[in-house]
Amino acid sequence: MAQLQLSDLRKSFGPVEVIKGLDLDIADGEFVVFVGPSGCGKSTTLRMIAGLEDATSGTIRLDSHDVTRTRPADRGIAMVFQSYALFPHMTVADNIGFGLQLRKQDRAMISKRVAEVAETLQLTPLLARYPRELSGGQRQRVAIGRAIIRNPRVFLFDEPLSNLDAALRVQMRLEIARLHQRLGATMVYVTHDQVEAMTLADRIVVFNEGRIEQVGSPMELYEHPANRFVAGFIGAPSMNFLPVRVTGVQIESPA
Amino acid sequence: MADTLPATRFNPWPATIFTILCVLAVLFLLPTVGVLLSSIKTTREISMGELWSLPASLYLGNFAEVLGNPAVHQYFLNTLLVTLPATAVSITLGALAGYVFAKLPFRGSNVLFLGIVAGMFFPPQVILVPLFRLFNGIGLIDTLWPVIIVHSALGLPICVLMMRNFFATVPNALREAAIMEGASEWQVLTRVVLPLSLPALAVLATLQFTWIWNDFLWPLIFTQSDDKRTIMIGIVNLKGQYSVAWGVQGALSLVASLPTLLVFLFFQRFFIKGMTMGAVKG
Repeated sequence: MAQLQLSDLRKSFGPVEVIKGLDLDIADGEFVVFVGPSGCGKSTTLRMIAGLEDATSGTIRLDSHDVTRTRPADRGIAMVFQSYALFPHMTVADNIGFGLQLRKQDRAMISKRVAEVAETLQLTPLLARYPRELSGGQRQRVAIGRAIIRNPRVFLFDEPLSNLDAALRVQMRLEIARLHQRLGATMVYVTHDQVEAMTLADRIVVFNEGRIEQVGSPMELYEHPANRFVAGFIGAPSMNFLPVRVTGVQIESPA
Repeated sequence: MADTLPATRFNPWPATIFTILCVLAVLFLLPTVGVLLSSIKTTREISMGELWSLPASLYLGNFAEVLGNPAVHQYFLNTLLVTLPATAVSITLGALAGYVFAKLPFRGSNVLFLGIVAGMFFPPQVILVPLFRLFNGIGLIDTLWPVIIVHSALGLPICVLMMRNFFATVPNALREAAIMEGASEWQVLTRVVLPLSLPALAVLATLQFTWIWNDFLWPLIFTQSDDKRTIMIGIVNLKGQYSVAWGVQGALSLVASLPTLLVFLFFQRFFIKGMTMGAVKG
């Protein structure tokens, strides 16, 4: 459980600045969704929070500790990858317990924790299987299990549902929402799917070209978009834009 | 069902390929058969008869002579002392360097990689005299050390190339997931990437072992005394002063080729595909 603070966070790849100064406060236990078009920097920001990318400048604070230069493992953050990234040569149990094994925890303790996690995710009958023997939804649940076993302070999700079929996506969305309710952990979730964003988020962060366009609850963004980009991005079908002429207190459509 | 299918047109290709492969197989096997036939004949029988005739009786004296000869034991020991460390060193260094080139590139790493791989293009004849002078200068001639060192070094380009290319097929997300779980780069390599690269390791181990075991040139250059010779030179040493001991040499040739065969049989079970299946995507 932690609050997360980004201040003037920037990232450049060579001469190209892809994240152009982000300021964002995420409260303890909040579910924040990053949305935006492809290449807007939402995944890069998530990877910087995880520690997989170094920030060029700016700071990332976790519970007001500066973690900008901290190793990913020492940040207490877990990440669920779009591709699940399960270790194919390990069983489900070993995949889930991998982080604890690396910390040289007691074997009996690991299997107890693995059993608990498997129970909550309905993975118990699958513990001895290998990832190749699982369906997409089951793999996704294993990836989530690997994330929750260490009781991380922050969960990061990088488009976790985009490889699932539509029906399964709805179901997994529900499971993630339940997980958030049960754990009460801070979660940051990247998606390009508006429905996921609108249904899961406490607050949505709209990204565009390396900047934050607007931050707000789903309904705030929907009812009061801050600018034309957010207005056009949120809502399906998307908002119509008409060129008009302002005449006094009235507007007049030329068409 | 089957008899209602329309007659498919005769396709000559499978039969042609099969015939060509059979001819090639026979061509490759003939020398071995020749050696096998000589090894079970007496010297008298060899000098009288033709190479390809079957022996009158199964004579195992050649094998007994080879297996009982202390010099042969020394040859085997020397060859193992060269082959095992050189194989292990080149594959270990190949895996370490390959991991860096595949997963942790740095400025100039591609040029360095090309430089290492370019090492393959030096013919041994070019480096032979300088290497001899070098090892002579530091007093290592007539020991096994130069053979081990040179084989480790010559194995590096192929090992680095193979391991880098195989590691490149292991998804980056797996490395990142392991790092998120708290793995160091060393743990990523040993616990995630290497277990997934068993096919590449098996291929390299087989290749390197066979190549070093069968090598004739380097031990010939760097060793002189009989108790430092390796098995392939030992085969030549077994010829008599006035005559060639075809039978004994044939027997030793067969015995000497057994380890490479065993290594191949041992490692071939790792030559499997699809190890990374199920890692990513659905």
